[in-house]
Amino acid sequence: MAKKFLQRLGLKDKLLAIIVPLLVLTAWQGAVSQKLCSELILTPPLTLLKTLLELAQSGDLTLNILASLKRVMIGFLFGGTSGFVVGILMALSPFLNRIFGPLIKALQQVPEFAWMPLIIMFLGIDEFAKYFFVAIGAFYPMVLNTYQGVSGVPEKYHELARVFEYKSFRYLFKVIIPSALPSIITGIRLSLGLSWMFVVGAELFGSDSGVGYLMTWGRSVFQIDLVMAGLILVGVIGFAMNFLLERAEKQFFLWREPVEGRHA
Amino acid sequence: MSDNKGTLEIRNLSKSFIVDNNPLQILNNISLSVSSGAFVTIVGSSGCGKTTLLRIMLGLENHYTGEALIDGKQIIGPGTDRGIVFQDHRLLPWLTVGENVAFGLDKLKQKEKKFLVDEHLKLVGLNGFESAYPYQLSGGMAQRVAIARALANKPEILLLDEPLGALDALTRMYMQQELERLWLLEKITMIMVTHDIDEAIYLSDKVVIMSSRPGVIKKIIDVQLSRPRDRASSDFMRIKAEILQEFHLGTEYPFAYAI
Amino acid sequence: MKKLHISKKTKRILGAIAVPIVFIAFWQLFILAGSPSARFLPSPYKVLQKFVILFSEPTYSHNIAVSLQRVMIGFFIGTLAGFLFGLLMGLSKTAEKIFAPFFHAVRQVPMIGWIPLIIMLFGMNELPRVLIISVAAFYPITLNTFSGVRNVPREYLELASVYGIKGIMLIRKIIIPAALPSITTGISLGLAMSWSVLMVAEIFIQTAFGIGTQIQRGRDRFDIALVLAGIITVGVLGYAMTVLVQKILTAVERGRVISTVK
Repeated sequence: MAKKFLQRLGLKDKLLAIIVPLLVLTAWQGAVSQKLCSELILTPPLTLLKTLLELAQSGDLTLNILASLKRVMIGFLFGGTSGFVVGILMALSPFLNRIFGPLIKALQQVPEFAWMPLIIMFLGIDEFAKYFFVAIGAFYPMVLNTYQGVSGVPEKYHELARVFEYKSFRYLFKVIIPSALPSIITGIRLSLGLSWMFVVGAELFGSDSGVGYLMTWGRSVFQIDLVMAGLILVGVIGFAMNFLLERAEKQFFLWREPVEGRHA
Repeated sequence: MSDNKGTLEIRNLSKSFIVDNNPLQILNNISLSVSSGAFVTIVGSSGCGKTTLLRIMLGLENHYTGEALIDGKQIIGPGTDRGIVFQDHRLLPWLTVGENVAFGLDKLKQKEKKFLVDEHLKLVGLNGFESAYPYQLSGGMAQRVAIARALANKPEILLLDEPLGALDALTRMYMQQELERLWLLEKITMIMVTHDIDEAIYLSDKVVIMSSRPGVIKKIIDVQLSRPRDRASSDFMRIKAEILQEFHLGTEYPFAYAI
Repeated sequence: MKKLHISKKTKRILGAIAVPIVFIAFWQLFILAGSPSARFLPSPYKVLQKFVILFSEPTYSHNIAVSLQRVMIGFFIGTLAGFLFGLLMGLSKTAEKIFAPFFHAVRQVPMIGWIPLIIMLFGMNELPRVLIISVAAFYPITLNTFSGVRNVPREYLELASVYGIKGIMLIRKIIIPAALPSITTGISLGLAMSWSVLMVAEIFIQTAFGIGTQIQRGRDRFDIALVLAGIITVGVLGYAMTVLVQKILTAVERGRVISTVK
């Protein structure tokens, strides 16, 4: 959505889109340096930049980002893969759908963060608990989108597979999954987004590394610039993951009619 | 096929669906025999069960009474001895043209696969399009790819379910010529369902006329005109009038239907 | 022999409740069997007992009331702000150009990321809790209002200009009704987000009352039955609220359509 928005803008509009935020940042910097607002409450942009650079120089930045990314990847792989498998099984077997369907629907009613205290009680707040928590976040969107994609494979493709005698794995990998792929990719995107949110949540709860830890640490030593730097990192990394996935998706879907081109 | 392969025999076939707990008869006591290498079309208004009949031949519909035999053997499910071209080209959008043609050749070696794909794309006049995606093709081109896909398996019988129904009139006539060319070249049995009477006369040795509720065969007309056929010849018109008569579309305005 | 006749609806209901009943039965059996991993897990019966106790205590209903109130205030503020903001960006291209890049940039930060900052800025009190809930509702409602307003069919706008309908009348008579389906989708999404973020707010920004607080308290006392009762309460209330709002929105939409037709 954000990217489409930028594409639509002309040159003059692009300048406007850059100038307006710049003006806001300048005003913010000015307000703090003119003592209109305390530096302790709102870190000015230049100080923020300095904080980020210092973090990068000391190596803390890379260390904490890598720690968070590792947790996201492991949790996402576990949760996403199991969601993918359960989604396919549910869509292909009415029996399993009867068993898992209502259960998943019921569990889905509970906001994910409500599980956190329970998980901590059983697993503590060590690395494994964090993976588990991220995996829960990754699981739901993957189950739902895989299920929708696979159960939405058009009847005409099923017929084609029957005519050409496609069975079992060949049928699954050459007809069903490709047809469901757009929906599955949506699931991956949502799933990765939630994983990122959950890793930050888990790190806020208790951790000695990670982007979330950077923020809690900043809060405990009352250094608001650290908190805001962490906030920016959380946003930028989330955006970057989504962006990369979108790029990969474009490479993947060469067979799709370019929709934007048609409307232009 | 030099030997007598690709024959179809249907004997006293009836089929009904259950609609709202009531049986609805779709096909009633159909008997039809198609000899090896013939071109047969089934015409009829929509709802006469002609597509159901074709799907029975294909093996997608079961649960009927009577017999449906291919080369003397009962049809049980789909098989590669029969090819199918649907009305919608039904190409898989995520596969290239070449991969779509190779869809039924999965068990072959890469080399053989490539040979067959090349051969059949050339056959339908689309060599050079292997790496295009279906969305880049026109309707006529997509349908040629679908025909190539069906022929690549070397079927004995090619079933065609209103294959040209979605094309514009001129492309359609051109594709009719193409179908005739392929039929003469491949020498296989072709059975086509259509609602276009001109198309049926232009292409077939035999026109099977069906009427609806329940679907029965009303008449089978042999078309013994020399090929290529002239759509404007008086013999063509005479046969057309004969068919239209069966649909009670009168002889007074035989051309009204053609417009 | 006379066949037992079961209607389709009954069958469907039976089918839907069969699995949960089997699931609960297995859970109970698992515990009765004395599996070592079941040491901590309370039985369904114990959870039920916990509910009976909770219902007799005033704290439970108070927790629910506080959570509902919290969510409602936040959701209401977020909806109103999101609707107005989305409408503004939808109506004015200039406003879109100025605010949209900012909006999309800020939106990249997951809700949870704001928690440390707003605690630092506002302290551990009610304001940051309500604020974060309203922000959660704000995003989807802004986005959906914006796209709804932008996608009002050109024909309607042409029709309005033919009849000289302008300004507030244009917004009230044409734009909002045409954008309504999209706006209601935004409101449903916003409610779901608010409810989800309520847990974040109550667990991370400590508070004396609320269902999230109850869950946290269960954790502190190592009372798993209390935690589970809290989780079930959150699920059931969230579901009930979703259904209720869905019904209201459908009624509003239908009412709007009928009154327009008349």
